[in-house]
Amino acid sequence: MTTELLLVAAGLYLAAGLASWMGIALESARSLRAAVVMLAAGAAAHAGAFVGLHLAPRPPPLTDLPAAVSLMALIAVLFVLVLLRRARLAALVALVAPASFVGTFFAALRLPHSEAVPLVGAASSWPHLHILLASTGLALLGVAGVAGCLFLVVDRGLKRHRRVRPRWPSLEALDRVNRVALTAGFLLLTLGVVTGVLWVESESDRIWTGTAHETWSVLAWMVYAALVTARFAGRQRGRRAAVAAIAGFAFLFFAVIGVSLLA
Amino acid sequence: MRVLLVGLSHRTAPLEVRERFAVAEPGPLLQKLVATDEIDEAVLVSTCNRVEVVVLTRRLDAARLRLRSVFRHELGGDDLPASAGGRRLEEMLYELHDAGAMTHVLRVASSIDSMVVGEPQILGQMKDAYHAAREAGACGAILTRLFHCAFATARRVRRETKIAQRPVSVARVAVGLARQIFEDLSQKSVLLVGAGEMIEIALEALHQDGLAAVRVANRTRAHAMELAERFDATAHGLDEIPALLARSDMVLSCIGGDTPVITAALVRTALRERSTPLFVIDIGVPRNVDPAVNDLDGVYLYDLDDLTEAAASNAEERRRETIRAEAIVLEEQQRFDGWLAALGAVPTIRDLKGRAEQIRAAEVEKAVGRLGLDPAQRDGVDALTRAIVNKLLHAPVSRLRGQADREEGFARLEVVRALFGLDDRPTDDDE
Repeated sequence: MTTELLLVAAGLYLAAGLASWMGIALESARSLRAAVVMLAAGAAAHAGAFVGLHLAPRPPPLTDLPAAVSLMALIAVLFVLVLLRRARLAALVALVAPASFVGTFFAALRLPHSEAVPLVGAASSWPHLHILLASTGLALLGVAGVAGCLFLVVDRGLKRHRRVRPRWPSLEALDRVNRVALTAGFLLLTLGVVTGVLWVESESDRIWTGTAHETWSVLAWMVYAALVTARFAGRQRGRRAAVAAIAGFAFLFFAVIGVSLLA
Repeated sequence: MRVLLVGLSHRTAPLEVRERFAVAEPGPLLQKLVATDEIDEAVLVSTCNRVEVVVLTRRLDAARLRLRSVFRHELGGDDLPASAGGRRLEEMLYELHDAGAMTHVLRVASSIDSMVVGEPQILGQMKDAYHAAREAGACGAILTRLFHCAFATARRVRRETKIAQRPVSVARVAVGLARQIFEDLSQKSVLLVGAGEMIEIALEALHQDGLAAVRVANRTRAHAMELAERFDATAHGLDEIPALLARSDMVLSCIGGDTPVITAALVRTALRERSTPLFVIDIGVPRNVDPAVNDLDGVYLYDLDDLTEAAASNAEERRRETIRAEAIVLEEQQRFDGWLAALGAVPTIRDLKGRAEQIRAAEVEKAVGRLGLDPAQRDGVDALTRAIVNKLLHAPVSRLRGQADREEGFARLEVVRALFGLDDRPTDDDE
């Protein structure tokens, strides 16, 4: 049932992405509204799958990559749905929905795990908390990157005096999404790193074991610390802030997901 | 029943002529029209771009003469101003009837026939004209249906095409661009450089969405104060521009002078004190803003050529959309025409059924007398003949009621009336 719900969620995310692109291309407000509705329905199915998964007699650990990716996708979608209530940002769905589709579909193919997988929290609650915080941070920073991509598209159109499609979000709204997502995402990432250190310490009595994941995660945190400082102390804004958000997320994604996949 | 439309519009008459024919209170004129023998229903549409009278009539030629006479004697008259170029009123008036008139009403409501295609005001003006006719008691069932059909068509055109989506005036294009940059214009402040007519027009467009603050900077402070008073703004001299730039989200410039008033260095300095984008609209000729300003991060500069080009491109897009709009109009017009044709068939159907029943009843009476049938047998014959007549008439009556186009509908009615002798006097045989 959980896998079916995840597939339904993935399907709805895909449909939301397609409807959103159609709405942008045809300048149809109706298509964009439909995209938002489908995204919300996908989030409901996804949340249902998540609850179902963790009510199962032997739930898979959050520390498992498919579970973490699925959680990230769900949080990114929920964050976008919250943002949509504040500003005309429906075009964000065009990028967030396909990305969430990929994450959810990947999770649907890999979840639930076999019975050989150990239960979550068998050792301590740190792994759970670490994944929850880090995944949420990663999802928010991903949304910041998506907002950065859209910012560059709109900025380029306006600078070159090309016709900007009226359904794109305003630059101001995209910059605000970037700022909010970066702030909250960095805070959660920091807490994720701290809980990660505590997890390592609880299992090995050391705060640093020197694994690739640890090294790359700390590097990514340092990159974001620099970006946040530039943004708020150096009053970085607009195009530069957008490029920084995209580059930062690319690095973070590689550090967390890429390194795990390569390991 | 025929629909007739007589009028003049921006396509046939200059503004000086149109304004002479404008009717502020159409009620009395409409009442006078429907009081005549030749006109049953009437609606008068009077806007700055057109004056048109739509009527429902049984006598097309008489109604046509009556409406031309109204334009000549009761509205503007035949004594036209010099701007008419020596043309006579007759040359400016156009006349449409039946399908042509219906299509025209639908096109006008859908803003296809407007001077600025897709403009939204015409639908409201058509509704006002319809309500005025209803209040005057001049608009009956058929024109009511026609105007409701026109309103529905206009809504469909707006919903299914992009005829009204893109701005076609320079000022509205600028507002559209501002919306691409800023989320909420009512929270933004604008700096106006200059206090001339162009600035005023552009400001009015921006002001429709509300602005948090308006600042006017001009060489002559008195002129700046004059404009500032009207828009609840503050007046400044040009020397204050560097400080004002840092506090403004939009700059609208149109001021005389050979050298740019706003340079890239000036904007770069202002950017150090702000963290939000800056939208600069330069509608001055020669340009008031250094083009290099557009290269700065977070600054978006549009000059008059950019805005005019965007407006022209949008206007072209709207014109392309009229092809789709025309298809919708045609579809709706045919639907209305079918309804009207079916309405025209009602008397013929009634006559046809009456004639058939008359013949059936007479033949049954004869047969009953000849065969000496008892009441039960008589009822049986009665039911049998009634069923035969009904079955025979079913197909022709359905065809007459069908949504045939107007010409075909009228032709069918003529044929049926002739074939069944519906207009003949009853003969002794019928009795």
